[in-house]
Amino acid sequence: MENTGNEEGAEDADSTSAAEAVLPADSTTASPATADSATADAAAAASTMADSSATGATTYPVRFTGLVREYFRIWIVALCLSILTLGIYSAWGKVRKKRYLYAHTLIDGSWFDFTGRPIAVLRGRIIAVALFGGLAIVGHFFLPAQIGFILLLLLLTPWIVVAANRFNSYNSTYRAIRFGFGGRVREAAKVYLGIGLLLIPTLGLIYPYYRMRRLRFVTEHQRYGATPFETRFLGGNFYGAYVISGLIIVAAGIVAIVGGIILAVSVGKAARDEGAPIFALIWSALIYSGYLLAFCYLRARVGNLTFNGTRVGPVQFASSLRVRDICWLYFSNIAAILCTVGLATPWAVIRMARYRAARLTLSAATPLSGLGAAAMQSATATGSEVSDLFDVDISL
Amino acid sequence: MSALRGSLSDGRNAASTPVSITRDGDDLLISAETTEFRVPLRDVAADARVLGVARTLTLPDGKQITTSDQDTIAEWFPARHWVDHWAYDLESRWAAAFASIVVIVAVLWLFIQVALPLAAKPVASMISPKIAQLIGVQALDSLDHSIFKPSKLSEERQEDIENRFYNFLAREPGAEGLSLKFRGGALGPNALALPGGIIVVTDDMVKLASDDELLAVLAHEIGHVRGQHSIRTILQSSGVVVLMTAVAGDAMTMTVLAAAVPTALLESHYSREFELEADDYAFAHLKRHGYSPQLFADVMRRMEKAEKDGGTAGVFQYFSSHPATDERILRAEAQR
Repeated sequence: MENTGNEEGAEDADSTSAAEAVLPADSTTASPATADSATADAAAAASTMADSSATGATTYPVRFTGLVREYFRIWIVALCLSILTLGIYSAWGKVRKKRYLYAHTLIDGSWFDFTGRPIAVLRGRIIAVALFGGLAIVGHFFLPAQIGFILLLLLLTPWIVVAANRFNSYNSTYRAIRFGFGGRVREAAKVYLGIGLLLIPTLGLIYPYYRMRRLRFVTEHQRYGATPFETRFLGGNFYGAYVISGLIIVAAGIVAIVGGIILAVSVGKAARDEGAPIFALIWSALIYSGYLLAFCYLRARVGNLTFNGTRVGPVQFASSLRVRDICWLYFSNIAAILCTVGLATPWAVIRMARYRAARLTLSAATPLSGLGAAAMQSATATGSEVSDLFDVDISL
Repeated sequence: MSALRGSLSDGRNAASTPVSITRDGDDLLISAETTEFRVPLRDVAADARVLGVARTLTLPDGKQITTSDQDTIAEWFPARHWVDHWAYDLESRWAAAFASIVVIVAVLWLFIQVALPLAAKPVASMISPKIAQLIGVQALDSLDHSIFKPSKLSEERQEDIENRFYNFLAREPGAEGLSLKFRGGALGPNALALPGGIIVVTDDMVKLASDDELLAVLAHEIGHVRGQHSIRTILQSSGVVVLMTAVAGDAMTMTVLAAAVPTALLESHYSREFELEADDYAFAHLKRHGYSPQLFADVMRRMEKAEKDGGTAGVFQYFSSHPATDERILRAEAQR
């Protein structure tokens, strides 16, 4: 789960599994008129955690010290070498970028470390490309193969989620103590496939609960050294977030339709015919903006809900992402990336990481040094003890 | 020997102690407030150097020391793998960063302009005619459900044109694969070639062009079929999509849009070359059957005038897939 400094976002603690890409983007809407959702989430957290941060607890703000002028160079060199090596270098690129973001995420003066080996990442990518890429190409021309491919992807999802989390967690370190992931494929299957299948008979209404269960699975099996993570996620809060997100989309749709009608009526027929492509463009831009707004709302709310409902031993997380900030960040980042043909991407990443860190605090009643390593960890210093098939990074 | 400042964690609990590190011959001397110990350099492992990333030294018993003094650590622990060495070398120079941008643009341009079209040609010829026919029929179907309307031309007129079309194909190889379809709708004077040899011509085109000029237009479409242009366009733009996705895959997830825009522009560019290729074929085909390429120039002029009068030029011309009509008129007249 150690993505606090990473753009990918801790709320997507499932890691980017292929299934996440296939599933529809979460589109719960937020009413911009509601009270500051950050305080609402903090209040919700305080009421669910009976032993909330009492007096005497130390607060540790998360600091992000990454600089665009450094990250840009790592990023652009990685991109260039990846293209020149037909993607092989991308494994090294991923590790180096991740190490930079980890190393600039500080808690109590110490930073995180990512110890994943590029070879393991490369192995995972080659497998993924061979398997998925090959099937995708065949499926393009041969319809039954396409269906088989999607089915295979779905079936593999639990394994992918577990493998990716094991790799990422094991290779994340804070003060020389590794994180770890103990989730099992069997339980992952129950959540991802079992509950996932229920989406069909419930016509998707169960989706917020499904999302919550996935987040819970990924979060509650994390551990820091010997200390397991604990979660208290309330389905009700997730439903609330998704409902509001859905309302945003509806509102955007209404604005687009009403605005379109008014515009079409007030303008003459000739101008209407001539300007038809422009109207279509504006209309789609409005719809797209509506989706983006809803997406940003969800990002903020679910991100807060996830962190606020998580603790590690004495450590409680507190996240106060604000919808308006996330919206502004996403819209301006996208605009910048479009205008610079992608060159602004490192800037966007640093910007987002900085904001996320600024909005995250840890509080612990006892000092962090009380957290200890897992029993077997101190036996091996360097080298990976995960020599089985799971020493492969499938998270792409 | 100056001392480095760092933090020591023993790997047993999450504590961090400030230490200072000095090098004493082949050993490292680590001293904290209360303790001091020595480790041989060769027993210490250093992580790979990345620009702006503090270094971590791992001691044999699991202790770790982190320090921000990159330069000294780099001196004591040279890079173990050449990839890490070169990667850091490039990352640390701004010249390398700028060069990277140039290289990326050059390679992408080369790939899209040269490699993809080269690859698409043989792949297109490997696709069986049956599959091409299937794609074409499906494409026509979806067009019929969206922008096409049934033709308003009389049965006799359609038959008449069809006969002239098949006469025009006399003694031409592969003529059996071609079929002619008539459609109405608000497209203006237009003709297009779909995979599988399906040529569609709009009512407005039939009205605009004389019988002979219509043959010139159809000859152009036959040129598209001969060159498998529609299949190759599909392959090439699929390739661009795959490429852009692979390249942009590292970027933010919401910028799929950024990949789509250049793709759309590039798609219209492919068509330019294919259009000129189809033009050249049309001129030759016309001459073979005793017609002059001037017919082509005439109908192009008429279409240009019709478009100007209709007034849909301007912003969207950039996205139009037909190269400057003037250029094509000149080429046609040069051939007559």
